[in-house]
Formats: sequence, C-alpha cells, structure tokens
Amino acid sequence: MFTVSINEVNSLCGLLIITSLLVIETKKARWSAIFYSLQSLVLVLIFLSLAVLMQANQLYLWAASAFVTKAVLVPLILYRALSRVEEADMPKNAMSPVAAILIAAASVAVSFFVVDQIQIAAVAPFKPALAISIAHFFFGVLCILTQRNIYKQILGVCLMENGAHLTLALLAYNAPELVEVGVATDALFAVLLMVILGGQIYRTLHTLDSSDLTTLKG
Amino acid sequence: MYSTYLIWLLLIPLILSLLAFATRWLGKATRRVVEILHLVCVTLVLVLSLVVVQGVLVQGVVVALGNWLHVDSLGAIFVLIVGVVGFLVGLYSISYIRNDMETGEFDNAKMSLYYGLFSLFLFTMLLVVTANNIIMMWVAVEATTLGSAFLVGIYGKRSSLEAAWKYIVICTVGIGFGLYGTILVYADAVNVLQEPRLAALWTEIVKNAQALDPTLMKMAFVFVLIGFGTKAGLFPMHGWLPDAYTEAPSPVTAMLSAVLLNCSLLVIFRFATIVNGCIGPAFTQTLFLVFGTLSLGAGVFFMFMQRDIKRLLAYSSMENAGLIILAFGIGGPAGIAAGLLQLLNQSLVKALMFCTSGNILIKYRSWNLDKVRGMLQIAPVTSLLLICGMLALVGAPPFNIFISKLLIISAGLQVGYVWLMILCLLLLMVVFTAFFRVLGSAVFGDHPEGIAKGDVNILALAPLAILLVIILVLGIYIPPQLITLLNGATGVAMTGDPASQVAGASFWQNSPALPTGLTQAKAFFAPLANLLPWK
Repeated sequence: MFTVSINEVNSLCGLLIITSLLVIETKKARWSAIFYSLQSLVLVLIFLSLAVLMQANQLYLWAASAFVTKAVLVPLILYRALSRVEEADMPKNAMSPVAAILIAAASVAVSFFVVDQIQIAAVAPFKPALAISIAHFFFGVLCILTQRNIYKQILGVCLMENGAHLTLALLAYNAPELVEVGVATDALFAVLLMVILGGQIYRTLHTLDSSDLTTLKG
Repeated sequence: MYSTYLIWLLLIPLILSLLAFATRWLGKATRRVVEILHLVCVTLVLVLSLVVVQGVLVQGVVVALGNWLHVDSLGAIFVLIVGVVGFLVGLYSISYIRNDMETGEFDNAKMSLYYGLFSLFLFTMLLVVTANNIIMMWVAVEATTLGSAFLVGIYGKRSSLEAAWKYIVICTVGIGFGLYGTILVYADAVNVLQEPRLAALWTEIVKNAQALDPTLMKMAFVFVLIGFGTKAGLFPMHGWLPDAYTEAPSPVTAMLSAVLLNCSLLVIFRFATIVNGCIGPAFTQTLFLVFGTLSLGAGVFFMFMQRDIKRLLAYSSMENAGLIILAFGIGGPAGIAAGLLQLLNQSLVKALMFCTSGNILIKYRSWNLDKVRGMLQIAPVTSLLLICGMLALVGAPPFNIFISKLLIISAGLQVGYVWLMILCLLLLMVVFTAFFRVLGSAVFGDHPEGIAKGDVNILALAPLAILLVIILVLGIYIPPQLITLLNGATGVAMTGDPASQVAGASFWQNSPALPTGLTQAKAFFAPLANLLPWK
C-alpha cells in the first residue's frame, strides 16, 4: 500500500515556494509557463498525498481537476500567449532574485506567525503546509504589486490561486464537490480573461509594461 | 411554488446570455434578435424578482436546491434592486447601444457580446444575492468580476483597456483575500457542526455562531472586509473604481454602482452577522466605523477635485458605500435599517445619474466640465434629470436619500457619536458644494458652438423618468411592503434569524430613531406633499 508521511507533504509544500521563484525570475518568458506547470504538478502531488494521509477521497477529484486546469490548460494558454510576444517587448524583471528570495522568506515568516494563531485540531499536523500555502498566496500578491510585466502579473494571480487552492485543500477538502468545481472554473476563466485582455493591450497599446498604463489618473 | 420561480430567476438570464452571444452569427438580423432577447431577459428578471420578493413577504424565506439558494428579507432587498435597476438600466441600454452603433463604436459582434455579457452579469449578481453556501457566494462574486471586466473594456480604447486591466487585477487580488476569510469560517464551522455539507451554509453557520472560534472569526472578518470591500470600492482598496466606472459604457457603470457594489456589501453584512453571533457586534462595528469614515472622507475629497462628471459620480459611489458601512458601524436596529434604506435609495439615484451621464456623452461626446456647458438649452429634459439626481444625491428633500441620510445621522446621535456625526455633516456639505459647482457650470452656462439643440430620444429618457418618479415617491412615501422587508432585513442582519422577519418584531417601529427621523422628515416636506394631486 502506498504510504505518505506528514513531513513529505510539508516538504512538497516547500517545493512550491522554489518553483514560484523560478516562475518569477526566469528570463525567458515562455519558461515561466513551463515552470508554472511544474509547480502545478507539485500541487497535484500534494493533493494526492493529502488524499492518502487524510483518507479523503474527494482530494483525488481535486488532484484530477488541478492537473487538467492548472498543470495543462492554464500553462498551455499562457505559453501560446507568450509565444506571440516578441522577447524584446518584455519589460525587465522588476524584482531581483535576491529581493524575490527575501520577499518569499518574509512571506513564509509572517504566515507561520498567522498560522500559529489558528486553532483547528484537524489541521494541527499540517501547520507548516498551511503556513506555506498562505505565504504562497502573499508571494503571488507581492508579485502582482511589484512586477511591471502584465504577463508576470497574470502569473502572480496564478501563484496566488495555487496558494489559495492548497489552503482550501487543507481546510475545506470536505466541502461539496460543486464548490471545488466552481473555484477551479473561476480560476481558469480568470486567467483566460486576463490573457485575452493582456493580448488586447499588447495589440492596441504595443506595450506589456503596466507602468505605461497611466492614461487614467485622479 | 416560489422555489421554482427562484430557480428560473437564475436560469433565465444565464440561458438568454448564451443565446445573445450566439446572435452574432445571424447577420443582418442580429440587432433585432439580440434586442428582443435582451428585453425579454430584463423583463422576466424583473417579474421573477418581484415574485420572489412577494414570496419572501408571504412566507418569510424562499429556498431552493437543497437550501443552496436562500432568499430572506435581507436578500429580498437586493433581489429587488437587481430586478428593478436591471430592468430600467437594461431598457436604457437599448437606446445607448443603438447610439454606439450609429457612431461606429459598436458593430454587430460587439453588440451581441455586450448584451450577452449584460445578461451574464445579471445572472452572477443574482447568484451572489441568493447564494446560501458561503463558498458559492465567493465563487459568484469572483464571477461578477469576470462577467463585467470585458464590459468595462468593451470599447477597446487605450483608456478602457487600462481601466479593465486595473479592475480585473485589483478585484481578483481582493477577492483572493475574501476566499481566505470564507475558508477560515468554513473550516471552523466544520469543526463545530461536524457535517461538511451543512458547514458551508450561511443559515447553519449563523445558528451555531456562538460555538465558533473568536480569534479565527476576527481574522476571517478582516480578510472578508478587505476582500469584498475591494469589490465595493472601500478606501483604500478603491484604486480600480474611478477608472472602471468612467471607462465602462454608462449603463454598465450604472449596474456596477447601483447593483454590484451592493452585492459586495451584502456578502460583508452576511459575514458580519456570523462574527457578531460569535463575539458580539463591537469588533465588526469598529471596523465598519473606521472603513466607513475613511471611504466617506476620501470619496468626498476626490469628488471635490473632479472636473469630469462621470468620475465625480464614481467617487460619489465610494462616498455612499462609506456612508452605508458607517451606518452599519453605528449599529443597532436604527443604524442598520437606515443603512439598508440608504443602500436602496442610492442604488436608484446612482442608476439615474450614470444613465443621465450617458445622455450627456451622447450630446457632448465628453464629461469634462470645460466642454459640457449650457445643458439646459441643449438638452432640457436631461438637464432636469441631472438637477433632480444631484439634489437627491446631496440629500435634499423631497428626494428619497434625504430620509435615509437623516436617519443615519439621527441613529448616530442616538448612540452618542456626536463628533462623528458632525464630521459626517461637514463632509456631506462638501458633497453639496462639489455637486453645485457642476450644476452651475454644466447646466446653466452658455452652450458651446457646434452642439445640436434637442434632447436625446424618448427611449433614453423614459427609463430615467421612471427612476425619478420612484425616487420622488420613496422620498414621500415608503410602502408598507418595503417597511416589512426593511424590518425583516434588519432582523436578519442583526441576528441571522429568518424568523425575526416573520414574527415582525418590527425593529423599525421599536427603534426610537426611526419614527423620530421619519416624523422630522415628514414635517419638513409636509407642505409640499399636501400639494400633490393624489393627496
């Protein structure tokens, strides 16, 4: 029988942060989509491990839907969109690798503090995983706030959603299936719409730099 | 019986939106078919929403789909807003979009997209106000962003794409915070209820709120307020609001301000009821007072700086959201009832004002006060609508907002927030100045050369005239059915108990502030009311 330990789940969660850094810091835009797919595969593995550990059959369904939407569809949409963009038009990374690592570390530290306040017996063994999921969410938010490249901002939303999805799996895996379908569908459509809008901005404004979007003020 | 109507209320706009999308392939028939579909959609939504509200008045609560859909008195007020405002703004849309077709802003494909998204937007908002499952509530709020983002950027210009981008990014991030709040409440509810399916239902969580973990609930509420407050445009999460409101087609702005903003507030109020049941109302009231005052103050400050009419109205929405939240911060039956009445009133006035701003654009091709002058000579009926709308927004009698603002101030004074209420009154005086500066310049000045005299067509004026009549009537007379709904809604917002509405505990009548406020209001404009022919 396939067995999984809590430590393995917590370690897999650590991998999420590393893959996030790769998504944000890679210089070749299309590689961001590939690294995001890799990260989503880690998320799928975490869902499968949690399904075994918590004997929660619903999480197998979650893993399947995360594989289809996050590991395949979203990266494919992003890859196709990024393929249409000239590398020269890509704004430079606003965050240096050192800054990104420091921000990721700060997010983890703050999240550990927050999670320490949460007293839910069922998730007590998974507190490190929970902290990392929240940190991942905040890292995504910070990525959106600091990146000028609108495609990196979309990836920031993706990272944020992966963090939220993991929190959902840890705290609400037993919610009705329709709820998970709704959350996953929203996430997929959010990325799809943002990619379409990003493409429109690129074609109309000939820029991918969000700091050029300054017509509206006051 | 009412359950079936509730399901159809959701299904109709969803089905008709899909049909509207498909009309783009009909060639020359597109325009006629999509307009008929749109008209059928908004009319059926109006009729079904009135039937569901009637159901709430008769039996207290209307539920469907195993309690996943639940409309109590609180939800009924929002269903009513979606139905009435959706119908009138939908009607106005037809004339507005025809004008866009004539000017070449829209083609057949864009028109199909617009009407399809409009119906989809109605569906998502109806899902927000009828959802009982808190996670589905979140899904529905996120869906409103996705449904409306393309409407904001539909013109495809530099500025509209920029506004749509800010809207979708900021709101998606904000709603992410809302998801965390929702998950925390759900996880704790599972702990308490031991039944995952029940733990997602707002009605069940509220019943067991006392057993929830206080620290978790405080944390969850902060996330919820930041998350859904972003959608409501509360300060300091309002960055997207002025841009999206200005760049969207005017009927869409009317829906964003008059309906969507309220939907987001409803979700916050639903979560506040849970948290209040767990730790008492002090925590949520403090946060409401802080965010309410900040939003009111910031909204007023930005309003005073504007020379663009639509942007001024956008900040006025922020100011009004602040005032509603402030009323909930004052709390008690008087504060909450006054806040709900203000919410209903401002919805109607904002729908009127944003549609009127659409008429201004049709005539002047601008909202800038340097260009919009002498409206009284160019478009007298639109001018009259603008004057009445602005008088209503500043809270002048005999318009509806006069009563709700008076009730909010009265409720605040009653619980001892004297300085805060004085500050509110001072801020509302600044609103008065900001609007009258606009009126003086836009309505009464000399009109610029090259603008043809003559108002917009009757189809663009009739829905606004109906809105104005409703605004005036609600300023003079609040129907007993609406008072029953407000009583029940106040009870639900305070206790979460739907029975409080059926028992008719009448917070409205038991609250000293409300009759006092109403008496004052009635005395103020009694001479005018006596002049009415039907008096």
